[in-house]
Amino acid sequence: MSERSDTPGEEDGIRPSRRVVLALGAAAASTVITVRPALAQTAGSVLNCEIPVPAPQAGSGQFIAADGSLVPAGTPGAYPPLARPLKGEEVKAMLNSGRAPAGIDSEAAQAYANYIRRLQAGMSGFTCYASLQMPR
Amino acid sequence: MAASLYAADPPETLRTVELEGLTLLYHRPSGLTHFLAPPAPQILAALAEGPADAETLAARIADAFEIDSEDPGAAIAARLAELEAAGLVRRT
Repeated sequence: MSERSDTPGEEDGIRPSRRVVLALGAAAASTVITVRPALAQTAGSVLNCEIPVPAPQAGSGQFIAADGSLVPAGTPGAYPPLARPLKGEEVKAMLNSGRAPAGIDSEAAQAYANYIRRLQAGMSGFTCYASLQMPR
Repeated sequence: MAASLYAADPPETLRTVELEGLTLLYHRPSGLTHFLAPPAPQILAALAEGPADAETLAARIADAFEIDSEDPGAAIAARLAELEAAGLVRRT
């Protein structure tokens, strides 16, 4: 140990170019503050919102790989698009406890859950997913 | 009882900006923005190597940093609880 700094993190935040001291903080200390956009907040609207898997703009004929990415139809190990959108309540149960929606086997459900985790602003279902993630 | 394993979304789902000791983080999947103070960003970076429990994360972080804590595992566990409540990590 030849050099120290009291400023944690450089560049990408985990691989400093020199050894630095990182204080982990007291249990009661807070290190995360979240800013929430004004999305649907009521429990009813969240649980009834819908997420198509995949989003229509993804194009027809796309399958969902185990990691949630979209792949060409028929790709081995990938799962076909869902015939119906998932309800917020189903997605919440799937993401939080791994419970597969009715009629979907658990491995396929995991792929669909990974697809939903990759949703970004502007994609169908994103607002629903974002609302489900909000701490209450 | 086995320790809980935690995972985070891939780094490409995040947009981060460093602000003089704080990290402004935009989580694309949720559309939520977070202000993070150390060691939260370092925990997320360590989770990018793969799911891990608090003790394993403490060891990963100790590879890069001199850790200032009497009980790193417990301190990391407290930070993981915060990150989980914010939706930035999940139990596997």
